[in-house]
Amino acid sequence: MHQTDHLSRQATQGPRPVPLGEHLVASTTRAAMAVQQETLYAAREFLRGRGFTELLPPLIGPVTDPGGRGAKALDVDYYGHPYKLMTSAILYKQASLRGFDKLFYIAPNIRVEPPETAATGRHLVEFHQIDVEIAGATRDDAMEVAAGLLTHVVQHVLDTVPAVLDELGRDSLAFTELLTGKFDTCTHAEAVQRLRGGGHPQSADAEIDWVGEEHLSREADRPFFVTDYPKGSRGFYDREDPRHPGVLRNFDLIAHGGYGELVSGSERESDYATLVTRMRESGENPAKYDWYVKLVREGIPASAGFGMGVQRLVRFLTGLDALWQVSAYPKLPGVVAP
Amino acid sequence: MTAIHAPGYPEARVRARARRGTAEVFPPVDAYGRRLLGAGDETAAGGDEWAGDELDSARLVPPVFMPQRLEKLIDLGREPVHDDVDLATTIGGFRSPLPLYVSAFGSTRVAHGDAGLAASRQAGRLGLPMVIGENLVPVGGYRRAAGAESPILARLRAYTQECPPGLGGVVVQQSTEDADSEVWNLVYSDPSVRDLIESGRLAFELKTGQGAKPGLGGMTVVDAADARRLADRFAVRDVLDGDGWLRCATPGTFTEEILRQQVRFMRNNFPRARVWVKFHPGRDVAHAATTAWQAGADAVTVDGAQGGTGWAPRVFLDQVGLPLGECLRRIGRPEGCLLASGRIWEGGRAVRALALGATAVGLGRAALLAVDEDADAGLIRLVEALALEARLLISALGRYRADALTPADLWWPGVEPAPERHVVPIGGRA
Repeated sequence: MHQTDHLSRQATQGPRPVPLGEHLVASTTRAAMAVQQETLYAAREFLRGRGFTELLPPLIGPVTDPGGRGAKALDVDYYGHPYKLMTSAILYKQASLRGFDKLFYIAPNIRVEPPETAATGRHLVEFHQIDVEIAGATRDDAMEVAAGLLTHVVQHVLDTVPAVLDELGRDSLAFTELLTGKFDTCTHAEAVQRLRGGGHPQSADAEIDWVGEEHLSREADRPFFVTDYPKGSRGFYDREDPRHPGVLRNFDLIAHGGYGELVSGSERESDYATLVTRMRESGENPAKYDWYVKLVREGIPASAGFGMGVQRLVRFLTGLDALWQVSAYPKLPGVVAP
Repeated sequence: MTAIHAPGYPEARVRARARRGTAEVFPPVDAYGRRLLGAGDETAAGGDEWAGDELDSARLVPPVFMPQRLEKLIDLGREPVHDDVDLATTIGGFRSPLPLYVSAFGSTRVAHGDAGLAASRQAGRLGLPMVIGENLVPVGGYRRAAGAESPILARLRAYTQECPPGLGGVVVQQSTEDADSEVWNLVYSDPSVRDLIESGRLAFELKTGQGAKPGLGGMTVVDAADARRLADRFAVRDVLDGDGWLRCATPGTFTEEILRQQVRFMRNNFPRARVWVKFHPGRDVAHAATTAWQAGADAVTVDGAQGGTGWAPRVFLDQVGLPLGECLRRIGRPEGCLLASGRIWEGGRAVRALALGATAVGLGRAALLAVDEDADAGLIRLVEALALEARLLISALGRYRADALTPADLWWPGVEPAPERHVVPIGGRA
């Protein structure tokens, strides 16, 4: 792999990526793929058991999730039109609610993350999400599904590939609290207060930064939810709390042990005028989202949903040091790789 | 045409509109790309010197008693002179040797090619912050095939090659159409911009308007081929009587909440870039500036009605927007870093703007004219002259830092001075 000058100066967390040919035969890669396979099996089993329909997601579109934190979408030339590779298929998930009340994708996503995220151990340019959307659901409903999904996947992996976890040195005791206890919830404001109390200068108006997230994650003994992120830190489709202007009806599910965010989700905005205003608030031009805005104007169901990162989940299960170790074809931010 | 006339009436203008229709709403197309436009130009074009605006009508009024000069005398151990005025300051998070920055010029033709590059090189050499204007990417692209550099990358490179370490910085504007092209994302994730980011010398400027045409977006004149090419990104209109096409960018919709959230979004998404916000001279500019600062903007730029380098409808040049002095008066004592631009090219107007609360002033048309005069050192000489004048003026006011200036350093003819303190005569003879 070719490292840019910037990255060669900067220590990346954990082991450094090896050439693809070596990576594909590494024992850790084989172990990670075994865990990934059981993860996807269990996720499908859980969601199908709850009445969800699996759709295959679109790969390109005229627009995609504008995302945040400086990540960029990749352009493709589509019969002379500038199209985007999906950073997430959230807009299509909302549209699909017209025909499917409960749906999910195992969705490949591409986000050209800022090179500085190569050092977090938690970012890949190419990754996959278990992408879930539920018509008529509240945030609590979505959080309940996310917690249930995580618990089911963890139990299934412990039951089916314990030897693989042993080989990786992952102690099953790390999951005891997860499997027995209820996940705690704190608000973004409370998380900010805790971080500031610990001397970390976390902004109250922004996403919890990588360092702060890792800190909170290390303090916990089981996964926990962070809710009520401030407007301005998330996309226009996260619904603003009508009773608390400036606060979003959304959540993250953070793994314990320093592994950080596994899930991001929210109640979705489905009101046309509110959505157009929210687009402007996030600096977007509604005209660019023409097909989506028209559909919202015609009417889409209210919903809640989330995306669970497959590679982050597998890293959490395997206990490997860096996210690139659990992808067969890893692409680290800022690193030009095959 | 009959022989009727209307003496004292703008007959020629009426007849011109009767002949050419909407094309007369704009300055002559043949001057586009060669003439720089801003308020006052249309009247001055009649032959008279521009009479100036409210800011120019103020006089700088040194006092007799100068306690700050005494402080400087004690500090230096000798009588201070004008060279002792320290003009170094922080502009929107960037260290600058002078309270000056180079204002944005975007995709307008006058700033195309060499002029934009020459200005970037010279601004870099001076260590002055520089703003790269809107619409460069939707018009000129971001990355091109090997061997050809896009306008925005060429300007960035020209600046960074010349700029001394630890000084200056580059500010990249984004308009609505730029947002469609995701300019900030492109810049922020570009490895060639890493050094600027890591040294804290990259800012993004949210542009909500401009001085020459408050309430409108950017306008340029393009030929038929470009009109076709740009029609899917901009409003392109055939209103120039066949002399070209008018390309209009949208101004974007802002409310207090939209502005607040966009600033927060910038801070959230680009945590290592500074956030600047630029306003047109709107009547609520003070409210807007306060909103931006409170949301966390590192700098607020106010472009007075005299600002502008590009194309603007005639009626906007002379009849729309607050003059710069009134903008500064309405803002009063600023809550954050306030930057002012609009017809600034010499020390007097610059110092008056600083006295009214600006942290720094921007050079727009003046910078373009200076690099047109001499592509190697025109801007450098212009800035040296302005800096000398500023030092002379500020020292004459008994002050030795730009941020020590106050509105008390200004006097407007016809404006009642604050009532003088009643004093009991002392000394002398009964």
